[in-house]
Amino acid sequence: MIKGYANRILEVDLAARTFSFQPLDDEIARLYIGGKGYGTRLLYDTTKPGIDALGPENPLIFATGPLNGSLAPQSNRFAVVCKSPLTGGIGNAACGGSFALGLKKAGLDVLVIRNQSPTPLRLEVDGDAGTVAFVDATELWGRGTSATQEALGKSGYHAVIGPAGENQVLYAGIVSQERIAGRTGVGAVMGSKRLKAITVKGTAKLEMEDEEKFKAYTKWLRQHFRAHPVLGEKLRRYGTMGIVNTTNGRNILPTHNFRFGHHPHAMQLSGEYLEDNGLVGVKSSCIHCPVACGRDVMVDGARVKGPEYETVALLGTNLDIVDIKQVSEWNQLADDLGMDTISLGVTLGFAMELQELGMLETDLAFGKPEGISAMIRDIAFRRGLGDDLAQGVKRLSEKYGGWSFAMHVKGLELSAYDPRGSYAQGVEYATTNRGGCHVQGASMYMESTGPLTINPQSLRLKAELPVVQQNLACALNAMVLCMFSTYGIIPAFVHRMDPNSFLYRMLVGAFERSGPMYRWLLGLKVRPLLWFEQWLTYITGQTFTSGHLQEIGARIFNLERMYNLREGLTGQDDTLPPRMLHEPTFKHLHSGVPLDSLLPRYYQIRGWDAQGVPLPRTLKKLQVRV
Amino acid sequence: MSITVELTYDLAKLLGTRHLELEGAATVGDALRLTRVHFAEQQADFDRLTRVTALAVNGVLINHRNLWATPLAPGDRVSFLKAAAGG
Repeated sequence: MIKGYANRILEVDLAARTFSFQPLDDEIARLYIGGKGYGTRLLYDTTKPGIDALGPENPLIFATGPLNGSLAPQSNRFAVVCKSPLTGGIGNAACGGSFALGLKKAGLDVLVIRNQSPTPLRLEVDGDAGTVAFVDATELWGRGTSATQEALGKSGYHAVIGPAGENQVLYAGIVSQERIAGRTGVGAVMGSKRLKAITVKGTAKLEMEDEEKFKAYTKWLRQHFRAHPVLGEKLRRYGTMGIVNTTNGRNILPTHNFRFGHHPHAMQLSGEYLEDNGLVGVKSSCIHCPVACGRDVMVDGARVKGPEYETVALLGTNLDIVDIKQVSEWNQLADDLGMDTISLGVTLGFAMELQELGMLETDLAFGKPEGISAMIRDIAFRRGLGDDLAQGVKRLSEKYGGWSFAMHVKGLELSAYDPRGSYAQGVEYATTNRGGCHVQGASMYMESTGPLTINPQSLRLKAELPVVQQNLACALNAMVLCMFSTYGIIPAFVHRMDPNSFLYRMLVGAFERSGPMYRWLLGLKVRPLLWFEQWLTYITGQTFTSGHLQEIGARIFNLERMYNLREGLTGQDDTLPPRMLHEPTFKHLHSGVPLDSLLPRYYQIRGWDAQGVPLPRTLKKLQVRV
Repeated sequence: MSITVELTYDLAKLLGTRHLELEGAATVGDALRLTRVHFAEQQADFDRLTRVTALAVNGVLINHRNLWATPLAPGDRVSFLKAAAGG
């Protein structure tokens, strides 16, 4: 048995109202760690091809990793894996809050929910007693995520859905405290099972191989994080909204349904503006996280949960609206109804452009906040036009037209970084298995927003960077660790460098030209260096290095790819919306993202054929069994 | 020839405006010099706040181009930028 795991999986059948505990498969844990990796392996192995994502055959898999339940900063996250009703391919989402800790305390590595209940239900899992109670949830059905959690009380740790999940909005999420596993419609799958809430409790303790070293190292690391320019200063002080002015200046802030990358008044949505105008209430964090990137916002004297960058961009500038109070209200409403604000914002923006072009009759219009709150409710309850909008941009474009400005990849709505100002991010959007998402690699940090940015509009490193970043993100989502942890990798002195200096330009130039060397260096299996490598090593007793994580990440990524291929997706789906490919936003550019030039190189680096299918030797080398 | 300079939040706070309209800036170097003039009373603060600031023309970083010699055209937007992280 590997340390760091509870060595227990709980399988629940909602139709038969039965449950069973199974031992963790050590071989899968060794190859895929846990979280998204373990979940994807289970999904692939235990489902038939072509199942209905909202049918009983689609399992809903909650998975933790060996870091969960420890005191490691940014580590209390869980992954949810299933077939996505939004994309038809791999569905997954990660979430902070407290549920991951609860699962580990209940002595569970993985919780698998199978089949569907005929009536609203909630589960109470007592890990110590080894029991699962199937409790009628009729009275909770229809309630928001806040009221539901309040009704469940403080005993145990909860994961719940809101009305959006109940009504199977294709981008509904699962909520733990004030955090949401938002993407790919995992909440709709939970809703299709008529499962309103899961409560887990127990007193199990995480066993580590070398607890003393882990504690000493983590203590030191917390101090390092607190002193770091991004984790300890910028994110802590301004939250994720501290990036608004930077993305705006770089022309990558979605504006007017991604037609533009800049809004003249975007500053009013920035973290700095919030702080200066006394709009920040209490700052909040996930359990054990010293960064505390969350914050409440004061709206007319009342404290509401503050929006993240993605939300202010996609429910703000993307709709030509720069009223932070208004955006905060919509954010609060969407969270309470239990839906992903990224997909919601992009869907509303698309509807507004359809209206602008006379292709859709609606009162929704760019720059007009009136009617948006009502539409968000209509989406959650599938009323009127809201029923169409509940299906996301791809299906909306199939019904009303406008495919060239329907901002999605594989059916998943794009995040708030315009890839025309960030080519590697464009490759990442196009190729990421769950669709147009930014946290499955976050290449934009290395080319557009971070302190050491390569030229985003050259072709150099634009195929290599997404591969490395996606692999790393897969490994982190297997642990399950917050992506923000990687912001600490670039040392403080780089943040103090003048970006126009000779030394800086020399460093960036060398980085841009590093190509194969960069991949080779990160592939080395010398010794654990970075914190997540150290933590895994101290907890599990196995040695994890950058090379190990790249290999495990590539394994997970290729398995996800094989799942997508099995479900009917092809290399043709590795693309971007035509607006991103053909419409320039920059004066200096003649077109959008040069995907045609970059994709073949990306496939080659991945070890895939020209159609984007992993070669047998690639799968064999990575030990991906299909 | 008129161009727009978009300041960082801190610089904008110092000057009381987010944008400057500048006449006669043919290059980024010119734009930087003319911007500095607006901070005549706060030169030390301006230098401090721009020490680790990147510059972009219409969103494109000049440190990947011709630095201060990067030419400007009428209507261009020169942005002062700080590194940031979000998600």
